[in-house]
Amino acid sequence: MTEEKVKSRREFLRGLGIASAVVIAIGVFFRNVLAYLYPPAKEKTYHKYLVAKVDEIPVGKAKEMTLSNQPIFVVHLEEGYKVFSGVCTHLGCIVRWEEQKGRFYCPCHQGIFDKTGVVTGGPPPRPLDEFEVKVDKKLVFIKTEDKMEGPWT
Amino acid sequence: MSVKNWLKERFPIDYAKFIEINENIFMKEPIPNHLKKWYYCTGATPLILLALQIVTGILLTFYFMPSPEMAYESVRHITQDVRLGFWVRGLHRWGSNLMIIALLLHMTRVFFTASYQKPREINWMIGVILFFLTLTFSFTGYALTYNQLSYWATTVGTNMFDAVPVIGHSILVFMRGGEEVTANTLTRFFTFHVGMLPPLIILFLAMHIIILRIHGVSEPEGYEKGYYSFYPHHFYKIIIITLFVLCVLSTLTIIYPPGLGTPADPTVTPTHIKPEWYFFPTYRFLKLVPLNIGIIVSGLFVVGMIFWPFIEPMLSKNKSTRTKIAWVVGAMVIILTVGLSVWETVVA
Amino acid sequence: MDTVKAQQWLIGIFSTLLIVILIIVASVEMKKSASEKPYVEIDKKSAQCITCHEKQNIAVKQVEAWKESKHAVMGIGCTECHAAEEGDFDAFKCPQSDVLVASHPTPKDCAECHDQEVEEFENSKHAHQFWLFANADRSIFENPISARHGCEQCHQISNVWPDGSVGECDACHPKHSFSIEVARQPETCGECHIGPDHPHIEIYNESKHGNIFAARGKDWDMNYNTTNNEPIPIEAPVCVTCHMDGNETQPMTHDVSARLAFESQAPWSFRTVWDEENLGTWEEKRGRMEAICASCHSPNFYKIYLLTADLVNLQYNEMRRMFVYWTKKLTKDGKISQIKVGDKTYSNPVINGWDEKPEELMYYAWHHEGRRFRHGAMMMGADYTQWHGIWELQEDMVEMITWAAEHGDAEAQKWVDSNHPSKFAPYALYDIPGSAWGIPTRTNTTPFLYNNYPDYWERIYANVEEAYKNNLLSKDQWELWLERYENRDHYLGTKYKDNEAVKELFDMYQKRNAIDKKAFNEQAVKLDLPGKPFYKK
Repeated sequence: MTEEKVKSRREFLRGLGIASAVVIAIGVFFRNVLAYLYPPAKEKTYHKYLVAKVDEIPVGKAKEMTLSNQPIFVVHLEEGYKVFSGVCTHLGCIVRWEEQKGRFYCPCHQGIFDKTGVVTGGPPPRPLDEFEVKVDKKLVFIKTEDKMEGPWT
Repeated sequence: MSVKNWLKERFPIDYAKFIEINENIFMKEPIPNHLKKWYYCTGATPLILLALQIVTGILLTFYFMPSPEMAYESVRHITQDVRLGFWVRGLHRWGSNLMIIALLLHMTRVFFTASYQKPREINWMIGVILFFLTLTFSFTGYALTYNQLSYWATTVGTNMFDAVPVIGHSILVFMRGGEEVTANTLTRFFTFHVGMLPPLIILFLAMHIIILRIHGVSEPEGYEKGYYSFYPHHFYKIIIITLFVLCVLSTLTIIYPPGLGTPADPTVTPTHIKPEWYFFPTYRFLKLVPLNIGIIVSGLFVVGMIFWPFIEPMLSKNKSTRTKIAWVVGAMVIILTVGLSVWETVVA
Repeated sequence: MDTVKAQQWLIGIFSTLLIVILIIVASVEMKKSASEKPYVEIDKKSAQCITCHEKQNIAVKQVEAWKESKHAVMGIGCTECHAAEEGDFDAFKCPQSDVLVASHPTPKDCAECHDQEVEEFENSKHAHQFWLFANADRSIFENPISARHGCEQCHQISNVWPDGSVGECDACHPKHSFSIEVARQPETCGECHIGPDHPHIEIYNESKHGNIFAARGKDWDMNYNTTNNEPIPIEAPVCVTCHMDGNETQPMTHDVSARLAFESQAPWSFRTVWDEENLGTWEEKRGRMEAICASCHSPNFYKIYLLTADLVNLQYNEMRRMFVYWTKKLTKDGKISQIKVGDKTYSNPVINGWDEKPEELMYYAWHHEGRRFRHGAMMMGADYTQWHGIWELQEDMVEMITWAAEHGDAEAQKWVDSNHPSKFAPYALYDIPGSAWGIPTRTNTTPFLYNNYPDYWERIYANVEEAYKNNLLSKDQWELWLERYENRDHYLGTKYKDNEAVKELFDMYQKRNAIDKKAFNEQAVKLDLPGKPFYKK
């Protein structure tokens, strides 16, 4: 191996080192900038929220209430309680509870869900969104996301 | 090279010419030998810092909200909740501080090398305007954090315009968007800070650099004539300064992260109010003399600064006497600035 | 090295530096200073109540308090607790609306969710209306209006409601935040457990536990959950830590009687038999308390500490015997009399009585001094066992016998005439060699009884053994006592009293004491002012 070659290899390695240091430095800089721009995805936590007392809704009936300005429906079925979001899974209109027919009806595009939330007609692609229900003694609770007071949530 | 051809068809310009111009104007720009000394290169630092201020400033606007209810809360949100928000905010805050230091250094260098002399008088004047634009930037930006100190600095700062003869009150009303410091003031300052000042400073900066390039860098006496090309020496030097500045800013942010203060309360004036340190000389001076006189003297000082390149030749016909007087004036101004700043810092 | 190369090096160095700094930047997270409040969803029904209450400005702060509560976050609104049906004892209609609400939610309402807590409470002595059984005749001494804002206010905690429930949950859990943090504050207990008859908060504040709480408690998060057998998260206990909270081995309980082994508030100390079906024997109850002690202390310490406190309780009984003996005798001899209408008496020669000195002394010796003496010993309030306890008990005794002598009782007169030091212990004694704190080398060289009665410890032995045989001490405690008894030279420190180092130290302090005494005499005792007093003898 000649002197020349050793020298040029050393030169190359040095250049490579400096270039990669620059690239990494810029990389870390932009990584930090991106971290700044994307709010961290928080792990969701839940708490119980009271929606009804067990003797409040007769079997086959439903109760409408509001949660975070969105309507929700508490349905008392023979096998227990189900709680649905009132937002149609098609294009986000608000469904109605039709008590005689025991079903949910969406007026926008005639979507129909039965009392267990399953689509029985119209365009909705999936059943109504459901909340996890927990009956504790005489109270019916749903699991709902923890939220903090303030403008950032 | 289909992409190249595709581009060529859409931008039918003479590429050989373009490369040649690029080579001549940028790559091979003749840089005088004395610029190998770093203290002759202080002009690049504010430029780099300005670029950084623009980047971090844009990042801050992603979260900042200019309303009395939300300004402080959003700054708190950036500082405490947003990932690395404290860093971006710290860079911006320290960047503004370092920018003023960098400008002072640059002006000192230009003054003592007498680079403002014919034919570069206009560029000095533009430079002075850039300096005051930067101070305006700082003043308006500081107000946006909307804590007790910044709120009252804004109130007191804008109040001073009232002492300006004839047009003072109109300026005050224009700046505050009314007689009092209100929500209007905050939105106005926000608009000045992010909407009007940046294009203005870029415009003046472009003029500053174009004039510089037309004349070339002034060469101080006593250096051996000679030039080297912009690339690679000077190019590398600028990269080093950039990296160095970023290191310094990040370190400062970690060690002294900017605080939040207490939220602005228009009903309670804090016992000790102070502007930011770069206004200390003016602040201390205004405390020493009646407000009217202070404002007039300050105004005269600014005028004197702007027209210095025309004032200096009038001082004496003898060139070396002139230089000596200029140096004395420069030294006096620096000593006065530093002295008043220290005074204000030490005396609570 | 040419300049280009040098510059390249600089770029490399600064890049590396920048990487390091930026990584530090990325890893530094700013501390959050603002505390976050959970978001409260207000349902339509509650919103109706709240809007009206705010408009009428009625109990608005209660609405604010509710918003701070865990109830609010979980959708437990106004009518969940204030639910009423027509005919309920507390049903009423808000003047501005037709909504029927209950004005007094009772433990029955709370039990809808907190059934375990309510049940535990009902089984505790907090819910016991003893004050209505034993002390009904007390109402002749205190006039009724005073009772409204006096005794009834604290004893509301055992109120029996028309709906058949008992207690008052918000006595400790302040409505409407029902804050655990507030309920845990010693001051909450101290709302009632305060004053001359049972100064528990004062005893706590005087104890090391209370001192640590006073110094550091403001930084503790008192909102902790204690239901999951987790370690006690605070550095020193507050009242509920020992009496209610759980730890790794004990479940949390609202039955404050679950861990108490002595009825040390009663006129006579006796081993508790409260709710034995659920809680077991006094030894099981003591075991629960010791399991809490064990979170911070070693058995070596707390077992001796509690044994000594138990002996204080037993000692109290022997003193109590004196007061009962004298009041009974004086009653029999007609020197003091009961309050009565016809045959119905309104005072009791061994419990109370208000118009004659011996009755008053006997009452204080139980209800005030006697409790302070015992409770101070149980809860580390030395000053309450000492000056507010034994000292005043002894004074009461001397005063009572002296009163008897002045009223012509020959036996009392004999006691008064006696000059023998043992006259102040006219009752049987308990004792234990040494304390829980360490080995004292000289302390036990002074007591008169130790020095003048060679059979002192034999007499004590017989008494403690008798207490053990009567199940007033556990086997464990008896053995612990025996071990100390057998090695009493060691525990009393008498074995070490003449050690070279001890002697030298003691002599040094004796010398200093002599100097003090001399100065005391010269500066004060022997000072004779020349300007004579104005009053002539």
